[in-house]
Amino acid sequence: MSRPPGRKQDSQKISRELFVLTYGALVAQLCKDYEKDEDVNTCLDRMGYAIGIRLIDDFLARSSVKRCRSYSETADMIAQVAFKMYLGVTPSVSCSSAAGNEFSLILDKNPLVDFVEELPAERASLCYCNLLCGVIRGALEMVHLAAEVTFLQDRLKGDAVTEIGITFLRKAEDRKHRRNK
Amino acid sequence: MAVCVAVIAKENYPLYIRSVPTENELKFHYTVHTSLDVVDEKISAMGKALVDQRELYLGLLYPTEDYKVYGYVTNSKVKFVMVVDSSNTALRDNEIRSMFRKLHNSYTDIMCNPFYNPGDRIHSRAFDNMVNSMMMQVC
Repeated sequence: MSRPPGRKQDSQKISRELFVLTYGALVAQLCKDYEKDEDVNTCLDRMGYAIGIRLIDDFLARSSVKRCRSYSETADMIAQVAFKMYLGVTPSVSCSSAAGNEFSLILDKNPLVDFVEELPAERASLCYCNLLCGVIRGALEMVHLAAEVTFLQDRLKGDAVTEIGITFLRKAEDRKHRRNK
Repeated sequence: MAVCVAVIAKENYPLYIRSVPTENELKFHYTVHTSLDVVDEKISAMGKALVDQRELYLGLLYPTEDYKVYGYVTNSKVKFVMVVDSSNTALRDNEIRSMFRKLHNSYTDIMCNPFYNPGDRIHSRAFDNMVNSMMMQVC
């Protein structure tokens, strides 16, 4: 059941605190279920992926953006439209490679970690917001852009800002070449 | 201006207790422990009264020759006890109330931390800083 584009924004919102607390409870439960941090990170990534492949349709329907012509447009779209729409923050984008396929989103404020002061000592390598990486990866895959998304810096681990790195893997033009053959 | 701040759980064991290090800490621990009886008296006296801000703040629990002990209980029966130096020019009631309100706010922030299990001892830097700011006003 597709929604018409330009549909009026749903005026019922749920409390942001409820969302943040739910996410926190999810991560805390995963920490109880898995002993190793890598397992928790993988699980969060997989969950995020499942969310991302579904969320992309909602995003495209609600924002009715045009097709992106380049990777940097895509990265800008993610930062300025998607993050703004779903989390209410706008990270800044910077391109970190000469080839133009590595970008990083720098988040000053991360609403998901509002209540977490710091990671517990035995969970030092936990990527608390790994769900976001999975969401971005899943969403990009559904628009035929393979990407690797990881956390480069994390405020919870002591860095100054939270930085998400997106590396686009295959160039979209390659697929077109293959089709023309 | 407080010389000792304590957070006591519903089951009457301490979640957090911190006193000015220059004094004998055991004495404060004992004072807080004895004040719990007074807190329980006051709670049972209130009965099923409506819980509003005034009922959360219990006021002066009992004065000793050197100190005054104030109490505050939350809706979840977590108690905050504050021991204040009597020699300080009498702190106004409002100031004590605002200190308890700050404590309560910091406590709820800790409760929201997903890695904190209710009933654990409190090991939060933000909470420590807030309590320090309340205690360091003593010269």
